[in-house]
Amino acid sequence: MTCKQLKEQFDDYVDGNLDKADAARLGQHVACCEACQGLIDREQHLKDALRDYGDSSVPTPDATFYDQALARAAHVGNQQQQKHWWLKGFGSAVAAGVALWIIGGMLPGSPEISDPGSTIPAISMVLEEPRTINLVFSSAKALEDATLTVSLPQGVELAGFQGQREITWITSLSAGRNVLPLKLIASSPQGGEILATLQHENDDKTFRLRVTVI
Amino acid sequence: MVSTEHKQASAFDRLMRPHLDRLYRLAFRLTGAKSEAEDLFQDVLVKIYGRMDDLVDIREPGTWLCRVMYNHFIDDRRRFARQRLVSVDSALLPGNSVEALPGDLDPERDARRADNITQLEKALSTLSDDQRHVLLLHDVEGYKFSEIQEVTGDPIGTLKSRLHRARARLRELLEQNGTFF
Repeated sequence: MTCKQLKEQFDDYVDGNLDKADAARLGQHVACCEACQGLIDREQHLKDALRDYGDSSVPTPDATFYDQALARAAHVGNQQQQKHWWLKGFGSAVAAGVALWIIGGMLPGSPEISDPGSTIPAISMVLEEPRTINLVFSSAKALEDATLTVSLPQGVELAGFQGQREITWITSLSAGRNVLPLKLIASSPQGGEILATLQHENDDKTFRLRVTVI
Repeated sequence: MVSTEHKQASAFDRLMRPHLDRLYRLAFRLTGAKSEAEDLFQDVLVKIYGRMDDLVDIREPGTWLCRVMYNHFIDDRRRFARQRLVSVDSALLPGNSVEALPGDLDPERDARRADNITQLEKALSTLSDDQRHVLLLHDVEGYKFSEIQEVTGDPIGTLKSRLHRARARLRELLEQNGTFF
C-alpha cells in the first residue's frame, strides 16, 4: 500500500468502511509511514472534536415541551382533518335548484332522506356517541366561492370544533352531488335543529335537520 | 366514554415518543437555533399527525420521520429563502455548546475545549448547507450513509463526496487558526 492509495481511500479507512483485508493493508502502511500516521491523527482529532461538539451543542428542550408539542399536533391535526373532509368533493358550482340529501352515515339501514322544503328530516343520535351525517348537496351547475355555514343546536358539537355552535367555510360546489360529512357528538339530551345555509352571491338557501338525542 | 380523537392522540403519543429526541436533535442540526428548531419540530409533528395512517404501517419509522422533517425544512427554506447563520454571539448564548459543556477539575482544559468548539462552530457555518448537513448527520449524530440517503434522497456517492469536501474544508480552516493542533 502507498500513501496515494491511503489518500484515495482515506475517508472509508477512518470511517471503518473498508473490508478487513484492505483495512489491514492500509493499517500496515500507516504504522510505517510518519506522514500518513500524522494524517490519521489529525483526522482523529477532528472526529473527537465533532463528537465532543455533538455531545454538548444541542440545547435541552423545556421539560414540558414534548408533551405540549404532541398535544398541539393532535389538536391542530384533528381540526385539519375535519376541514379536509368537509371540503372534499366540493369541486365546482351551483346556481339555483340546490337540493339537500341527508344520509345517516353510521347506522345501517338508515333511510336516505331528502328535503325539497316541505318536510324537515330527522335523525337520532345516542348521547356521547359520535355519528357521521353526510349532507349531500345536489346542484344543477357549478358554483365558485359559495359560503357554507352549519349552525348547531345547544348540546350538539362537530368533532374537532369543541364549543363552536357555528362553523363557516368558503368552498365551491360541483355540478351534481357534493358530499359534506359531519361528525357530530351529542353532549346533552336536548337535541334541536341543525341548519346548513348555502350562500352564493345574492342567493342563499337553508336546510334544516332535526336531531333527537336518545 | 373516550372519544375517537382522544384515542387517536394517545396512539400518536405512543408511536412518536421513542423518536422525539432524535427528531429534536435533527431539527436543531438543520436550523441551528433553539426557537427555530422548536417551530420546525412542532410543524412536523402536526404534519405527521395527518399521516398517521402511513406511520402505523412502517416497521421502523425513525428514518421515515427524519425524512419528513428534512423535506419540510427544505420546502420551508425554499419558500422563505432563509439563510441559516451561526454568529459568534449566538454561540455564547445560554444553552449553546460553550456554556453547556460538562467540565471536570481542569478549568484550563475546559476553556481550551470551549474555545475549540467555538472555532468549530464558526468553521461549520462557512460550509454549504448540503455539506454541513451531511457532516452533522454523519460525524456528529452518527447516522449511517444509508440512513442519510433515506432522509435526504441523495445518492450515497454524492453524500460521501460532500462529506469529504466538508471535512477537508474544516481541516483547512481549523489548521489556519491553530485549533486542535
